Order: sequence, then structure tokens, then C-alpha cells
Amino acid sequence: MAGRITNRLFLPAAMVAAIIAIALAAPLLPLPDPVKMEVSARLAPPSLTHVLGQDEYGRDVLSRIIWGARASLAVAFLSAVFAGVIGTALGLLGGYARGVVEILTVRSAETIVCFPPILLALLVVTLVGPGVATLVIALTILYAPGYARVAFAATLATRGLDYVTAQEALGARPARIIARTILPNVASPLLVQFSLTVAAAMVLESGLSFLGLGVVPPAPSWGLMIRGARSTMEQAPWLLLWPCLALTGTILALNFLCDSLRDVLDPRAGVPQARWLKRAAAHVLPTDNPVLALSSLLSVEALTIEIDTPAGPVRPVRDLSLSLAPGETLALVGESGSGKTLSGLALLGLLPASMRMVEGRVMFADRTGRLRDLARLSESEMRRLRGNEIAMVFQDPSSSLNPVHRIGDQVSEAIRAHHQASRSETTASAVRLLTEVGLPDPRQRARAYPHELSGGQRQRAMIATAVANAPRLLVADEPTTALDVTIQAQILDLLAALKARGDMGLILISHNLAVVSEIADRVCVMYAGEIVEEGPVTEVFAHPRHPYTAALIASAPEGTNAQLSAIPGTVPLPHALPAGCTFAPRCGSAVEDCHTVKPAFVEVGPGRASRCLRWREVA
Amino acid sequence: MTVPLVRAENVSRSFRGRVGWLAPTEIKAVREVDLTIGRGEAVGVVGESGCGKSTLGRMLLHLLPPTSGRVFFDGRALDDLTPATRRRLRARMQMIFQDPYGSLDPRRPAGAQIADGLLIHGLADRRQARERVRDLLQSVGLDPSHADRLPHEFSGGQRQRIAIARALATEPDFIVADEPVSALDVSVQAQIVTLMAELRSAFGLALVFISHDLHVVRYLCERVVVMYLGRVVEEGKSADVFHAPAHPYTQALIAATPSIRLRRRTREVALSGELPSPASPPSGCVFRTRCPHAIAACGERVPGLREIAPGRHVACIRNDVVAQGA
Amino acid sequence: MLGYALTRVAVALGLIWAVVTLVFLFIHLVPGDPAELLLAQGGVAPDPAAVAELRDKLGLDQPILAQYLSHVGGLLKGDLGSSLLDDHPIAEEIALRLPRTLELIFAAGLIATLFGVPLGTLAGLRAGGVVDRILAAATGLGLSIPVFVVGTIAILIFAQKLRLVPAGGYVPFSRDPAQHLLLLLMPATTIAVGLGAVMLRVTRSSVLEVLERDYVRAAHAKGLTPRRIVLHHVVRNALIPVVTVLALHMGSLLGGTVLVEFVFNWPGLSGELVRAVEQRDYPEVIGIVLVISVALVITNLVVDLLYAVIDPRVRHG
Repeated sequence: MAGRITNRLFLPAAMVAAIIAIALAAPLLPLPDPVKMEVSARLAPPSLTHVLGQDEYGRDVLSRIIWGARASLAVAFLSAVFAGVIGTALGLLGGYARGVVEILTVRSAETIVCFPPILLALLVVTLVGPGVATLVIALTILYAPGYARVAFAATLATRGLDYVTAQEALGARPARIIARTILPNVASPLLVQFSLTVAAAMVLESGLSFLGLGVVPPAPSWGLMIRGARSTMEQAPWLLLWPCLALTGTILALNFLCDSLRDVLDPRAGVPQARWLKRAAAHVLPTDNPVLALSSLLSVEALTIEIDTPAGPVRPVRDLSLSLAPGETLALVGESGSGKTLSGLALLGLLPASMRMVEGRVMFADRTGRLRDLARLSESEMRRLRGNEIAMVFQDPSSSLNPVHRIGDQVSEAIRAHHQASRSETTASAVRLLTEVGLPDPRQRARAYPHELSGGQRQRAMIATAVANAPRLLVADEPTTALDVTIQAQILDLLAALKARGDMGLILISHNLAVVSEIADRVCVMYAGEIVEEGPVTEVFAHPRHPYTAALIASAPEGTNAQLSAIPGTVPLPHALPAGCTFAPRCGSAVEDCHTVKPAFVEVGPGRASRCLRWREVA
Repeated sequence: MTVPLVRAENVSRSFRGRVGWLAPTEIKAVREVDLTIGRGEAVGVVGESGCGKSTLGRMLLHLLPPTSGRVFFDGRALDDLTPATRRRLRARMQMIFQDPYGSLDPRRPAGAQIADGLLIHGLADRRQARERVRDLLQSVGLDPSHADRLPHEFSGGQRQRIAIARALATEPDFIVADEPVSALDVSVQAQIVTLMAELRSAFGLALVFISHDLHVVRYLCERVVVMYLGRVVEEGKSADVFHAPAHPYTQALIAATPSIRLRRRTREVALSGELPSPASPPSGCVFRTRCPHAIAACGERVPGLREIAPGRHVACIRNDVVAQGA
Repeated sequence: MLGYALTRVAVALGLIWAVVTLVFLFIHLVPGDPAELLLAQGGVAPDPAAVAELRDKLGLDQPILAQYLSHVGGLLKGDLGSSLLDDHPIAEEIALRLPRTLELIFAAGLIATLFGVPLGTLAGLRAGGVVDRILAAATGLGLSIPVFVVGTIAILIFAQKLRLVPAGGYVPFSRDPAQHLLLLLMPATTIAVGLGAVMLRVTRSSVLEVLERDYVRAAHAKGLTPRRIVLHHVVRNALIPVVTVLALHMGSLLGGTVLVEFVFNWPGLSGELVRAVEQRDYPEVIGIVLVISVALVITNLVVDLLYAVIDPRVRHG
């Protein structure tokens, strides 16, 4: 981690450091006097004594460039530092104390930001005249509000976090909280702001000098040099280019540093790839014609998902097999890291770009009765099925609906994606669907935006979108987890009612055993990427045949059992799976063999299966 | 009769809505709540979103001052005290938060954060604090040698254990736990809940346990308080309230809560409709718009909490409905 | 919506008042006698008689409140005072030149948006690819070159070496539309380089952010074609922050016109500002600064209201 940081920052930091070093070293370098004129040699080309030639007054160009760096950099850094100290203090205070203090510090700072910087600087110069000192003061006042804003926003964000409240609860004084808790967390955006300010100050100073209103000649400054070179542009274009290059190069280096700092301090986990724009070609396995019972709607065989990590390929879902009959509800139950969500996404071909199915079959019986292997369909074929014959409902209804489109339009869109219909027809259908899912005032709701609906209503709207084309299979990924208990009950009733009507198969993904017990017919219990037990819900919960299932049930704080039994340890990660049974390290019934032999998924009763060597003993 | 450890007297808390100063809306998150907690007692506060339970929890510790009403700790009114005195008093009352990822400073080692309380209140010097941190880590089931690790190196359940250790460091008499297990997996929840039960009896702590999960509250707390839209609607011993709920909302809540044991029960008490906007609640009883037993009289006056049995209070005027619970 | 609009208007009015007051106070906040400062040249103390005359002209001897009231009163009547140098009414000068600067800004904004937004969307959709990397390098450069460097180099290449366009100047649209537009092209494009780079970057990161959102995944689950998802769901939402950024950069756009009008001899308001500053013509400087600041506030107001049109969440408060 530290190595990665230094790698990213090394180049830009080195560039900036080099520029600063050269500027600082100017008095020590064997350079000709930058202000010494030699009019007879005006516009002279490069020579031994004047490596870059001479300007319109015969002064040495290279020397002026290096000494000019000093002026520009000094102004930029000084103002950035002063502005930083003042601005940060104001922002921190305003953000922590709020109320009147906030108005006095941050809000008044914001009015300064309304002015274009150059205007303010010009105003100062009008009164006081040009010069380095004036510049620094003007720039400090200009840039302090920027810092104040950043510090304010960061303070506000941090202040709302629980660990700051925890400090208050512990009885810490405000000064201590600001210094030890808020400031370190505000340091990163401030550092970025610093590098931004230095670059901005350089641009402003050079612009003012270019106008003749900044650094006073004969002192060198890049802006001044460009100004001077303009008049002799025709005869001596190179005279113009050197300071332009120097200025642009320095600002480039500063911006580069700023960007790298930003990346390092606020890292995004890689660049997300919109690879759903063209689906990666499926892994081709030899296809035989599998015999599939006609009563099955969906039959998944040995599904395995793989993801590439820096440490090598890893398999978060392995050897998943399940089947679903029309009108049946199958629950995929598991805790975090079990792979249940990934399995659901895989069925619809919605795996994130970094993952792919590497083994297995997903046989689906479509409306025409044809058997299709979903794992081997092309993206356009898959698209025809999605939202049409197979649909999905997601966990968080507030983020799954597009906030800028009306509800009715989003439902209509699902219909129009798969059917030719006029606008009025789809609008009517949308209203009908919203009525079916139990939304009050459906016509009004259709014209509303998502944020005008409550959580429960949004989930109903989502469900309407999903069942718009009467799919054969609906996958619901934690559809009620984000909702209140009483609303949850309504939504579960809705799902059951919808299912009963059309023979729709429902796969319910959940971590909540109680919800599963209420509405599912069969259950698959998942642990660390595998199904460990399967069977009818009542039987599995009443008589579990896998230690994990038993332990899960025992750890639910229901009924009147006096003791909650907890499962010791934690779920293994996919790249560090134990040899043998994945649950063995935490299992109370494990024996020697369990740690070395991988148990197969075997039938342990009519319609029941378990992945445990000792299922007979634990039953 | 001994003075209760914590007492909230008619506390309310309002927030100003953010529509702009042309039409400011006032949202009353907590309305006229009375609550007492005795020494060593565990009280659960349950309700759904918008009921004000989190706000109430913070008011009990004066992390949010009440807009009206007062909170007493060990007989002393908290808002009468100077900020400095209040700060010193905080060693005796602590909080555990919901989000295991937000309640620890990502930049400081776990041990340092646990030791904060000790150092702030001068209860130990650095060396003693390190010893105490090791003991605390052990009592919450963590390896003491991990004291110098950063929070991101621990799992969610382990971070909650650290948060618990931090809360216990100053040996408080009273802890408010705001949904401490809601963000955790079921099996991890069981670990933390068991731990909290053990520690509570070991240290004789008074506990306010805020949660939306009725089962956990029933397991952990002797008494339970049910809230709806900022008001307390029912209160009593957990076993009694869950076994025979008296208030229609409690009845609906329990009926709606799924359970592994009960398979496909019929929902006679289906709760229809949505939560009213907290900015403009219904007149009289706030629950009447969704109550299957509402009558005209329910809209006239806010029903106060009345005692229907010793230690059992309900805010409902319908004697016949309430009688099911007594 | 009405409530939101009224609030924004009220805030804007308040800001304008604050700007007017601040600008007025400015001359009194600087240490030293303003008249002396204005007349001081190169450290030499000015002639006391000239100082007294200037003080009288600027009304500095009256009590502050009286000055303030006459200042505000004059503004409300549309009178911005007279130039110190040749006594011509400032308001007239501004009225003549302001449209020319606005034209420049508008053209620059248009060019920047037409290039920046589509390219940024492309970069976002093909993030990590060759196109994205090339655009990132170009953007980095575009953000780093100061606007006067772009202008000067552009003149060097296109005007002097290639002789494609004149080096600067102005011709009224009514007299010669073609030439007018040709002369507008260079300065507008110069400003557009920096702004376009910003818009490209912001659009790109906005698109990337939206791509990760749940509703894009939900749209995918509905079976929509990628084209529909991109146009209807991604771009629509990604544009929202881009509008804000445009507003935020209005300030730097105006700043850019100061330098560009100078480089290209475009007779707009900002160029006049520079001349006034050079000549220490304080009333004119104040007048122009005031007008520009008010224009900025109004632009921000328009963008705020536009925001409500684009994002329904803002409309309903």
C-alpha cells in the first residue's frame, strides 16, 4: 500500500521538486545578470554565453527564466500558505460550531468567491499599484475562502460521523475533538486544495504580469517575458516560446501533482468498466442435450463464478445446483460472503464486469417451451429475456429507481422494451400495473417522481416494473431488507399474491430466516459460496441436516430459549478457503475427516440434500 | 423508593425542516415522552423508522438537548449543569452506535480509541491505560495483542466489540445502545447480543437498547417501550408485552414480524397504509389513521399513557382492545 | 417550485446588495488616503492640491453614510458616475461594451460544451481505454495552459505563420457578419480550450459515477438496449452536476475575457477594465467590476432555476 502511494506520487513530486530546486538555486548558478541590458545584442540567437539567446533588451533569456521562476513560485506558495492557514481555521470553526459562527466565517467567505479572482486582484492593483507584496496580499484574500469552503465541507461531513459523536459522548472538549479527530480527516482535501491554489495563484500572477499589472519590471517574471516577447513575435518566435513552455510546464507539473494527490488520498477501487455494453463471450463447454423434467422452470447445474484478483483467480460461488418449478418459491439463504447475491445476478447475466461464469449450466424453459442455457446466450439474446421472461427486484428501492424520471415512465419503459405499443397503451398498462401492486391513487403516482414516494411505495413501483411483462421467473434480492417490518409484511403479501396469479416462479434471496420461513416453499442454505443444504422449508428448519443450518437457527433470538448460541469465528474469504469442508473450522461436530475431505452434495431424504459427511449424526 | 438512575420527564425534540425560510416546517421527532430507567435495568425501545427512538436515545445522554422537558441522571437535571460538569459526568454514561464502520476513527488504532475515555477523564495514566485496554479487549473476546491495529483490519462484528470495549472503559453505570447489531449478520448478531448480556450482568449496567428487531429486544431486555411517530404507545415487561400486546400498534407490529417458528400465519391484523408525515401528524392519537379500531373520539385528544396493570402502560382509549393485553 | 424560485431570487438580491456594499466599502478599507494612493506614481508623493481636487471629485470628504446613499442612489438610477480621465459617463461606455463581452462568453461556452460534453461522455463510457487516455492527456494540457498563452501562441501560428485569420480586431456584425464571426472565432476558442477541458473532465467523472448507480443496473435488468440506457438514463443524470460546474466557472470565464480581449484587441468590457486599471481610473474600475459581479450573480440565479428544471428533487424541496 505504501509502495503504491509512493509510486504514484513519485514522478509529479519529483518534477515539482526539481523546478523548485532550480528556482531556489538561482543565486548559486553561474547565470548572467537577468536585468543587465545589452541593447546592441537585442534579439540575439543562442550563443555560448547566452544559451537561450537574448531578449528585446539584450538580457539573457535563460537567466530571466530561472530568476522569473523565483518570483512566480514565491508569490504562488506564499499566498497559498497564508490563505491556507486563515481559510482552514475559518472553515474548521464554522463547521464545528455552526450557527452564528458559521455565518460569520464561512458564509461571508462565500461572497468573496462570487467575484472572479482577477477582478478582485485588479481592484486592489488600481488602488495600491502593482508589486509583489500587493499580489501576495490580494491572492491570500482571494484564496482563503476556497480553503474555508473545503475545510467547512470536510468538517461538516466528518462531524456527522458516529466516531465524532462518540468523542463527545466520552466527554472530550471541543478543542480536542477538532484537533485530534476532525483535523486529521480534513487534512487530505486540504492538501489537494493547497496544490490547486498554488497552480491557480501562478496562473493569476502570470496573467497580471502579462497585463503589466503584476510584478514590476525590470524584475523578471514569466508573464512579463511573454508580454515583452509579443511585440517581437514575428522576428523572434522562440523568444515567446521559452517562457510559455516554462510557465505551462510548471503548471502542468503542479496539476499533475494535484491529481496524483487526489487519487492517492481518495482512491477509487479501479476504474469501473461499462463492459455490459458488450458482454464478454461465455465460456464454451461441450453441450450435450440434457434431459430436463418438463415440470422444471429453471435448472441450474454446477454453476461456478470466477473473479480475477491481484492474488490470482478466486471463486466466490462454486458448484451451485438448484431447480425451480413453475409457481414455486425457492429461497437462497445465507449471510454476507455466502455468494447468494452473485448467484442471483448470474441468473440474469448481470454479473459485474470483473466476474464471469466458468462452469455449469443454467437451463431455463421459456414461454415457447424451448430450453435455453442462459450461460451460453449472447448478450442480445439475453436482453430479450431480461425484463421480459426473467426479471429482478433489487434491495434498495430508493437507488434502483431513476430519480429524474417519473414512475409511470419507468414502468412503461419496461413494457416498451419488449413490446410494440403506443404511448397511450403503455401509459394505461402502467397505471393498471401500479394498481395491481397496491399503490393508492395510481394515476397520480404514475406522474410522480421517486422521491415523492415512501420506501414501501417505491418498492411496489419496482415490483410493478419487474412484473410488467408477466415474467416466468422473478428473482428478488433482499426485497424487504430496507423496509420497516409492517411494510415488509405488505410487500411479502404482494409477492405471494402476484406469484399465485400467473404461475410465476420466485427466487427469494435473503439473510432473514424468518422471512424465508414465511413465504418460501423450498430453501437452499448457502455458506462461503456453496449450497450446504437444500429442501422443503418446514422440514429443513424443523430438522436441519447440516451443522451450519442448525447453528443459524439456534442463533436466531426467537422463541423462549434461554440461551442464544453463537457460531464462533468468521466466514472464510474466497481466496483463503480451508481444505476440506468450508464450515469445518467453525463446526461443533467436525471430526478429523471433515478438515481434509471435501464433502459432496448428497441426497439425505426425499427432495433433501446436504453437503456434510456427518449429516446422519447431526440430524 | 430509590431514585431511578435515568429519568426523562416530558421530553420533546423538534427539528426545523429545510424547505427554506419562506415556509419552515417543524418536525417533532420526539413528543412528550416520559421514561425511567432503574439501576442495572435493561429497557428496550422499539419502533419503526420515524418513531424517534434514536433521537430519544441521544437525548438521554444529552448529546441532543431536548427542545422541552428535562432529563435527569442520578437525580440531577442535565441541562442545569455547566458544560464542564456535564462533560465530567459522561464518564458514567456511554453510547454504542449502529454502524460499526462509522463509529471508529479510521486513522487511529483500536487500543488508542478504547483508552480515550480513561485519558480524557484522568482515570489512568498512559501505562495504566494500556493495561486496562488489554483487559477490556479480553473481556469483549478480542485478542489483546491486536490493540495497535487499525479499524479496517477488523471485521464488522469485531469492530462492534471494540466499540463496546470503548464504552466500558470508564466503568459507566448507564449505556445507550442504538441499533448495535442491526448492521451485522445473524450469526454475528448472536455473538454480540450474548456478549452484551454477559457484560451487563457482570457489571450491573443499566442499558437502553434501541432496536427495530423485536426478537432481540425480547431476549435482552426486561422492560420494553414501544414508540410510534415520536410518542410512547405502550410500555411494560417484555414478556407481557410480547405475549399479549395491548396497543393496536404493538399488536400489528408483532403480527407483522415474521418468525421461524410460526409458518404462514394468517394476518388478521394487517396494517394498511403508510406512516403519516412527521411534519403534519394526525390530530389526537397519532396512530388512528392506520388503526383498525379507530373511532371518532380518537381524533379529539392525544391519549395519555394510562396504567392498565402494575408497571404496564398503554396510550389508547379503547378499553376493549386494550383489555386483550392486560 | 415557486417557493424555491422565490428563495433563490431573494438570495440573489441579497448578494447583489452585498456586492454593492462591499465594492463601495473597498476604497475605505485600504489603508491610507484613497486619493493619495490613486495619484501616487512610483513612490513619489502626489501634489496636495491634486489630492484635494480628487477627494472632492470622488466625494470623499462627505460623511460615509451620505457617500453610501448617493452611491446606491446613483446605481438605482443607472448612473455609474464619470470617468476620472475624460469625464465620459461610465454607464454609456459599459452599455456599449458589455454585449461584446457577453457575446464572447456565450460563444466560448457554446464551443466548450459542444466539444467537452460529448467527448467527456465518450471518455466515461470507454474509461481505461485508448481513447480515454488520449483525452486525459489532452485535458491535462488544456487545463494547464494559461489562457493568454493559448491566445498568444494561437496568434503566432494561425495569424502570423499560417495567415489563416487576422491577429485580432473587431467588426460589428451588422457591417460584415462573416468577418465578425471569423474575428470572434479565435478569442472564443481560446477561452473554450480551458473551459472545454474542465467540462470534459467533469462530464467524464459524472458519467463514471452514474454508471455505478443502482438504477443503471436496474435498467439493465429490464432488458433495455445499451443505447437506451446510455442516452436515457446515464446521460440525463450525468448532466446534472455538469450544469453546476458551468455556473461555477462563469467566474473564471469572465476572468478569461480580461486577458483574451487584451490579446486579441476585442473591444469588450474587460479590455476597457484593464485600460482603466492602468490609468488608475477608479470610478470606471468600480463601475465595471460592479456590473460584472451583478452579471455573475444573475447568471448563478439562472443556473439555479435551470437546476430545478433538470432535477425534480430540487423542485420539491
